[in-house]
Amino acid sequence: MLAVGACKASRTALRLLHRGGTTTPGRLAMKMDQNILETVSRGMEIIVVTGTNGKTTTSNMIEHALSGSGRDVLANKSGANLLPGVTAEFTSNATATGKPKKHYAVIECDEGALKQVVPKIHPKVIVVTNLFRDQLDRYGEVMHTLEEIRKGIRLVPDAILCLNADDSLTASLALGVPNPVTYFGIDCPVGEQENLEISDARYCIRCGTEYVYDYHTYAHLGGFRCPKCGYRRIHPAVAVTEIERVSSSGSTVRIKFGVDEKVSWNDNGSDIGKNIDANQTSVAGQTTAPTSQNLTAGNTAETDQEVSIGLPAVYNIYNGVAAIAAYQAAGFDRNEVISSLADVHSSFGRMETFRLGEVPLQMILVKNPAGCNQALSYLSGLNEDYQAVFCLNDRTADGHDISWIWDADFEKVCRDPHMKHAFVVGDRADDMQLRLKYAGASEKTIEEMPDNSALIEKLKQSSLPVFILPNYTSMLSLRAALGTITGKQAFWKG
Amino acid sequence: MSELKICHLYPEVLNLYGDRGNICCLQKRLEWRGIDVQVARVGLGDQEDLSGYDLFFIGGGQDFEQEVLLEDLKSGKADAIRSAIEDGKTFLCICGGYQMLGHYYETADGVRCEFLGAVDFYTKGGSTRMIDNYAFRLGQESGGSTVVGFENHSGRTYLGKGVKPLGTILKGCGNNGEDQTEGVRYRNVFGSYSHGPILPKNPEFCDFLLKTALERKYGSFDLEPLDDGFEKQAHDSVLAHVLAGTAGKED
Repeated sequence: MLAVGACKASRTALRLLHRGGTTTPGRLAMKMDQNILETVSRGMEIIVVTGTNGKTTTSNMIEHALSGSGRDVLANKSGANLLPGVTAEFTSNATATGKPKKHYAVIECDEGALKQVVPKIHPKVIVVTNLFRDQLDRYGEVMHTLEEIRKGIRLVPDAILCLNADDSLTASLALGVPNPVTYFGIDCPVGEQENLEISDARYCIRCGTEYVYDYHTYAHLGGFRCPKCGYRRIHPAVAVTEIERVSSSGSTVRIKFGVDEKVSWNDNGSDIGKNIDANQTSVAGQTTAPTSQNLTAGNTAETDQEVSIGLPAVYNIYNGVAAIAAYQAAGFDRNEVISSLADVHSSFGRMETFRLGEVPLQMILVKNPAGCNQALSYLSGLNEDYQAVFCLNDRTADGHDISWIWDADFEKVCRDPHMKHAFVVGDRADDMQLRLKYAGASEKTIEEMPDNSALIEKLKQSSLPVFILPNYTSMLSLRAALGTITGKQAFWKG
Repeated sequence: MSELKICHLYPEVLNLYGDRGNICCLQKRLEWRGIDVQVARVGLGDQEDLSGYDLFFIGGGQDFEQEVLLEDLKSGKADAIRSAIEDGKTFLCICGGYQMLGHYYETADGVRCEFLGAVDFYTKGGSTRMIDNYAFRLGQESGGSTVVGFENHSGRTYLGKGVKPLGTILKGCGNNGEDQTEGVRYRNVFGSYSHGPILPKNPEFCDFLLKTALERKYGSFDLEPLDDGFEKQAHDSVLAHVLAGTAGKED
């Protein structure tokens, strides 16, 4: 198994050079052995997490529960979620002869890379968190991203799908595939109900009619239904029925555990839903959403339980229920994940806290309008004075098109009297600065920093808490710099 | 007191890639000068009289939603848009909204989708997408300044004889990647592939549109200059990277 050795040697060498070394070794291994990923993952029980937002945190929640319950788990914690990065992770955890050393894995996977990764690792469960417009210059449009995920799912018809019931795009992945499906979601309205944000899914994916919403949670998520063809939200097996408490340290919610609702839709000419497998219930002219009762085996009685999630903001409630639904779908005892959610740690750069001297910092990764709006709402809802930092790069991993910053409501923070000062930094700091000006911040409030070290020197002097909203590559570099100063571990040691 | 009425057409469908930033920019630059501004959102199913508006904005959208849109246009808006154009009203149309003004869109398989035919050009589907930061110089009749933006389209647009391009490509693809043209200029219609959004980083172009619309309404009109420090900084830094081919590259 020369490829395994080469990958491991290269990874060790790169880490000695103080570089992350997350994808180069994988590329090297792939070059030497095309089937290496299949070999080094054979026989493992694997949960894959994909979707636009929340991949890292949801994976982290599942991994935390599995490890906390005494299982030895492989996870790509570094966030290297394309084929080379995933290959590197599995290869480095295999014996010299290519046998996996661990039995369990939790893998976050890029939406576009899903079709390359899943046929090689044969996951037991695929979680799809949500779909928002994101990095559109790479994928084209959100519908294209959806198709990319569907292509991946079609390659593994036995994998259990764990889908967000509140997202009409994600939920539609159940149509036209033979896979067993289970759902998670939020049953109650959250936040403002007049939905001013731009919607990525206003029209029915089956027939093009505008959806009616019984309630909204955020962005296009909520109780959607199509008044024409009847496509609608399925009541999920794992459902938040009440949000009891939300604070900057986390949320307490009430969750109802039951079975996924079974729904039939009249198939009136849409090309989605025609290819339902013969094994699924199929009446002439009708298709049935392929839900499966035995996914909740052992947990069939409907129960109600209070659950604490140790990370703030609504999107972490979604990540929490996604983790619970995936956990039980994979056949584990859901009580393990429920108890471990209370003390789940923030993942790298996602609501991660630091202390820079006396100054408390919190870093919130933002990569697209939906996630960014949630972070901005979180800041403007705190009711305490703060300084904000916005870091914007436009490298390949970020997407070269940064125009999405105009789709996010920076107005929420720029008009917030508690936002006392804003710093901008990064390759596109000039664009970010301009966005803040048009969002209503006075030019005197905004300060552009030439680089991370200058920024950190400024932040050290802050008398207020600081919230940092970076996009992906700007998060990596600033996280590394802050990690060095504050003594927090680098991510690959995490 | 002068006033400008802006009509944002199909904001619920045509809203890709930060295009709503153009409305924000038009609105702010009028407000900062003490000019009254009203923005109306006119969407699918709205039966509104369009003749009272001075400036129209149409953004880009997803292919998926195009059919819904074409149906709505047929129900009366198509005629209203054509008359507003012939009446000399100012139009800023981006990407999908720009393509929509032409005669048709022909897919790679030869299927034709009939569009408004309000301006003499057509678009053909291509196999590769033209995606990147790009830059072009506006024609003198559109102010002559340099515009930086981001293009993301697979359609290739070919202009008819009676219309001018909005500008000439400095770097990137523009209309079709072949003839160095970008966008269209016909009467007071300004069509472009540029997202970004186009206006905030290109304040001279934004002011040219505002002046065009205000002069159509009031005869001559002088726009008070604004402090465009941040705008110029963003424009110049991106332009330098685009021309040097270093935009989006590390270091």
